Amino acid sequence: MEMTFRDPAGQLLLTRDDALRRVRAAAAEEARAFLDSALRRDLERSGDLVASEFVDVGVESANDPASDAGDFWLRHPRIDPISYPWEWTPAQWCTAAELTLRVACKAIDAGWTLKDATPLNVLFDGPRPIFVDVLSFERRDPHSSVWLAYGQFVRTFLLPLVAAKYLSWPLEATLFARDGYEPAALYRALPRWRRLSPALLDVVTLAALFEGKGAKPQKAKPATTHPDLAAHILRKRLARLGKQIRSTVGQENKSQWSRYVQTASHYQPADIEDKQQFVRDKLAECRPARVLDIGANTGTYSLMAAAAGAEVVALDSDAAALERLWRSAGGEKQPVTAMVANIARPTPAAGWRNREQLSLLDRLTGGFDMVLMLAVIHHLILREQLPLAHIGELCASLTRRWLILEWVPPSDPMYQEWLRGRDHLYGHLSERDLGEAFAPHFGVTGRKELGNGRVLLLFERNDSGAGTA
Amino acid sequence: MRLLLRIFPLVLIVVGATLLFERPAYAYADPGTGLLAIQAVGSALVAGGWYLRRKIYSLFHRDSAAKVETERLAIPEDSEG
Repeated sequence: MEMTFRDPAGQLLLTRDDALRRVRAAAAEEARAFLDSALRRDLERSGDLVASEFVDVGVESANDPASDAGDFWLRHPRIDPISYPWEWTPAQWCTAAELTLRVACKAIDAGWTLKDATPLNVLFDGPRPIFVDVLSFERRDPHSSVWLAYGQFVRTFLLPLVAAKYLSWPLEATLFARDGYEPAALYRALPRWRRLSPALLDVVTLAALFEGKGAKPQKAKPATTHPDLAAHILRKRLARLGKQIRSTVGQENKSQWSRYVQTASHYQPADIEDKQQFVRDKLAECRPARVLDIGANTGTYSLMAAAAGAEVVALDSDAAALERLWRSAGGEKQPVTAMVANIARPTPAAGWRNREQLSLLDRLTGGFDMVLMLAVIHHLILREQLPLAHIGELCASLTRRWLILEWVPPSDPMYQEWLRGRDHLYGHLSERDLGEAFAPHFGVTGRKELGNGRVLLLFERNDSGAGTA
Repeated sequence: MRLLLRIFPLVLIVVGATLLFERPAYAYADPGTGLLAIQAVGSALVAGGWYLRRKIYSLFHRDSAAKVETERLAIPEDSEG
């Protein structure tokens, strides 16, 4: 990934172990003032703001023609992997929005303000959101009651949630809307009666009408609002945004897969117990530091891996199921990063020249000691029509050593449900075919057949150079 | 009604002043046009409520009106926008 370039105040460069930020000379005085402030210390102490330290960079950076003698550099801990807003569940959006408003409120109290307010300034470190842009802070004019980032907050946080709830525009579509949605776009799409709902009247209907009147940019005038009143107005504005966000996100969502564990009729309790025991044993034997759980559902095995000491990345394309996982991980304070993603159609790279945001595979490749792929392979074979050899190749690119895979035979009810008359193509596949297709990359070092005919397999990479687990 | 007639001009002045004398929209993030206008309206409403409460308070607490005036910068916790 290249250095970021939109913010005139500075640039960010991701390295293998950390994130380096160049603060440009023009913004250096303001940035140093913030870094020396009690606000920064308070935000870091509460865990709301990423840590920063001053660093000297090498000569190669100093030779950059864009550099200036007044520039300085900061180092932040690398939060890995990055999850982008289009990979968050609605509840994660809500939490990220609340964090932004909380940070903005603390800033106002301390005489500062946020100059931008977008979900891209928030990352999830496990289940916890953290504000990562230290250059978003600037000193506040105490006489001004305008929050210049208000429009950006509404467009990039609130309106995507409104569109997802009332128009079924998927949150994943924000991949294509860097600056969010304009009020006028939602005004046109919403039913008339919905436009008048109290939560949307100002940010959609009135805003769209004012835009339609051709409002002109305001000219420079002295700000004369009394400082106490200005701060009061700003706090009220943030409080209202918080209410609008919470009322939009509402209650926990449900889906077919969010109830999968409770409703799975193809599993007897003994099978579930055997499956959990196998995974638990292998986690204890292999002791992976980083685990990728593909098709994590509500997170039984992600949480099991986290409890065994691993940092876990949990993927699932079902946002409602993943939301339950994320809530559980937060409740148990486990290092599980939840991402709404489909490994068969991974999130593409995005932004200017496709270089601003990394693709899912760029972020995941080679980053794990173990991959869990439990009750997923029949989805890939039958719904995505992927050959076994390709699946093996993908797994080998993701894990540095182990893979636990649940083989679902053609006789399985779920397999039969999706086979849909294509027996000649997929009805003959066997565990032996799986082993042969994976053999260029993996060898089987553990096996357990469940009572329902499914088979749990522990694979180890051929090039791992160590004995079996 | 008398009360309303007395405070109405004051509210108008406050709302007008808030709309007229706000800061310019110079920002790295696009502040929008409609959403910026919404802020001005919201500011006016909150400010109107703030001044209105003090005025109403002073009408019913004439003895302490002078004291209220000296404390005019204190913000009531429960004022609404």
